[in-house]
Amino acid sequence: MSVAAARLRPLTLQLVRQPGPLLAQIEAALAPHGVPLRWAITAVEPGAAAVLTLEAVVLA
Amino acid sequence: MTAARPLPTLLVIPTGIGCELGGYAGDGLPAARLLAAASGCLITHPNVMNGAALYWSDPRIHYVEGSALDRFAAGAIALRPVRRQRVGLLLDAGIEEELRWRHLQVADGCRASLGLEIGPVLTTDEPLAVTLSQGASGASWGELGRPDALLRAGQQLKAAGATAIAVVARFPDDPGSEALAAYRSGAGVDALAGAEAVVSHLLSRELGLPCAHAPALSPLPLDPALDPRAAGEELGYTFLACVLVGLSRAPDLLPWPPAEPLAAADPALLRPEAIGAVVAPAGALGGAAVLACAERGIPLIAVDNPSVLAVSAEALGLEVLPAASYAEAAGHLLALREGIAPAALQRPLARLLLKPGHTESH
Repeated sequence: MSVAAARLRPLTLQLVRQPGPLLAQIEAALAPHGVPLRWAITAVEPGAAAVLTLEAVVLA
Repeated sequence: MTAARPLPTLLVIPTGIGCELGGYAGDGLPAARLLAAASGCLITHPNVMNGAALYWSDPRIHYVEGSALDRFAAGAIALRPVRRQRVGLLLDAGIEEELRWRHLQVADGCRASLGLEIGPVLTTDEPLAVTLSQGASGASWGELGRPDALLRAGQQLKAAGATAIAVVARFPDDPGSEALAAYRSGAGVDALAGAEAVVSHLLSRELGLPCAHAPALSPLPLDPALDPRAAGEELGYTFLACVLVGLSRAPDLLPWPPAEPLAAADPALLRPEAIGAVVAPAGALGGAAVLACAERGIPLIAVDNPSVLAVSAEALGLEVLPAASYAEAAGHLLALREGIAPAALQRPLARLLLKPGHTESH
């Protein structure tokens, strides 16, 4: 990453959980927004397909 | 004392979510000391270990910045313990002269009284412009107006021979805020912590060095009702001493698996494959390190330690060993270290059943 171009961006995302490992789903959801610097699942809405809330800061 | 070999264990108490234990000024340290004794090898992050003017050094505890801890849990780096680091000191140009002198004198004190190797010292070419924010969850977050200035200074320190970097950014003073009053009374989220994590994550990720952060703030007026958990931050003019001590023996971060075979076997090297357990608050299991460990089948001990989050094992479909306290978590670690099946310590103990379609055999 170019040092001069480094910019941080806060982000909140909703992610519908699919079957299978969770980490790859989260990384795929964050990737279009930039390089994740820090993230966490901060809420889970239960259901047949759980909805996860992600809060993050990305390098964009 | 157990005769079993150490069980490398990760202790995660996420920053800026108001954990009852570990959400304040290094008040996770007693739990870390206990878990280090139980496991024989504990890897944990600055939020657990940093008590501003208070710190504890234990050769069984490895001080690893949060994003490096995530990479270790994911198997992307190994940790190599060292006798000492040369800690470069990176100061935000936004720090006023008097406060800058206070930080330099803390660094000098650590050199003179503790024997740490500190230097070079560098000021950023622009103020870092830290701002604080809060997510919808109540967790603290923050941003950095000039990440480029941070990275430039970090690269200069690395080029000048620093093997670890302590960064001090000027944080906004807000002595009258409700959030600060709640934190000092032991009922709130550390509003600074989220931005601190962003600063150290960025630097560590880009430089591949051990890094940690201390905020620079003006002293607060005396509060006789101060909660003991927040007291460590009100003993001096800076939050820097704990960071310098932690980094002085923080392990090196090695890309893993190595690009080339290692020259010689290093019995002290901590490989990610060796992680034997991870300990985290039961309501804050949705972080990168915990999920990476869970997906690798590493035993996860979920401790009752309330925070603003409610991201539980049940919500995420994770299998955990529940613990009502860090003392109980220490018991779980001892059992794992000794090879005792945790289920054997619980009652009732269910009878073994033959799986359908199989015949009994010896």
